[in-house]
Amino acid sequence: MNWELLTVAVLAGVANWGFRALPILARMDRMAVGGWLGRFLSATGPAAIATLFVASILPALTPDLARLLPVLTGTAAVLATWIACRSVVLATLAGAVAHGLTVWLMA
Amino acid sequence: MPVPPPPVQVRLSVALSRIDPATAASYRSRAMTRTRPPFLDGLIASLPIVLGYFPIAFSFGVAATRAGFSAWDAFALSLVIYAGASQFLALALLSSGAPVLVAAFTLIAMNLRHVLYGPALMREAGSEAGRRHAWAWAWGLTDEVFGQALGALARGQRFSEPHMFGLGLGAYASWVAGTVVGAFAGGGALEGWPALNAGLGFMLPALFLALLLSILSRPQVPVIAVAGLVTVAGTLVLGATSGILLGMLAGAVAGLVRR
Repeated sequence: MNWELLTVAVLAGVANWGFRALPILARMDRMAVGGWLGRFLSATGPAAIATLFVASILPALTPDLARLLPVLTGTAAVLATWIACRSVVLATLAGAVAHGLTVWLMA
Repeated sequence: MPVPPPPVQVRLSVALSRIDPATAASYRSRAMTRTRPPFLDGLIASLPIVLGYFPIAFSFGVAATRAGFSAWDAFALSLVIYAGASQFLALALLSSGAPVLVAAFTLIAMNLRHVLYGPALMREAGSEAGRRHAWAWAWGLTDEVFGQALGALARGQRFSEPHMFGLGLGAYASWVAGTVVGAFAGGGALEGWPALNAGLGFMLPALFLALLLSILSRPQVPVIAVAGLVTVAGTLVLGATSGILLGMLAGAVAGLVRR
């Protein structure tokens, strides 16, 4: 066991737990009801999801058709399945299957 | 003496016997869905995250052993830190000889955005939402788990702590298991299956897009647009971590301006 690595892991892990749990336990959302902080927190969720989607898809957006086409078919499958079923699970799985199939067909 | 009303199951059964079989079957199915234990419901909802996490954790396990760390070290990092990008960075910092405190501070700074997730989720859950066991389930509040939980609330599902435990546990187990399998299997295991590897690699972008669609409404459009544009600009100019943090903050600030 690498003790240096374990020390870093414990420090980062304790901080992670603090970031995730303490604001809930401190009831920060109740302090925020009605005020500017409330509006800020309400917008945080959609902003976070939009940010994470853009950050995850950005590296794949290249002029290289072999990398771009699976992303386009995967994205189209997510959109189509969402419109048809309104299910996050099915839309996600359909996107991954379409992406993988496109890679397989292009190989 | 008043006659007590029949139990709910009996009333439902009588009501269903008066309508056509197809509609009755649909109602029965929906009633069963509603009565599914919340923990199990959370585990099922974690499925896309489980499938998305496993290959990333697998590649982390491979990277850790290639960087000279043992499978136990990789397992400990995933178990104790449980934050993907930070763990890859930990490997790079420690294998390049960075001091322990510098490495720890860098990892901590990377995950600062998680401070916003709990309050944002509990605000959507409402003031009556339980938080007695938040000290435990909040550990699993990663980007993806937060997004999935928020999406469920936006679709009208009631907040429950057992659901959060199920959602978080599925994702956490997948992350730790993927790391261990990757550390023991080595790099060649998924290289023979490029289509499967690619499909699994697209799982998280697909999940984020589906979640985005599930919460999409007209008032949220400016928030989403600002967050997306600032993320692109921030990533191109400053790098991915700064881009994510700036995009999130800019979108949330846009939420202040929109009323």
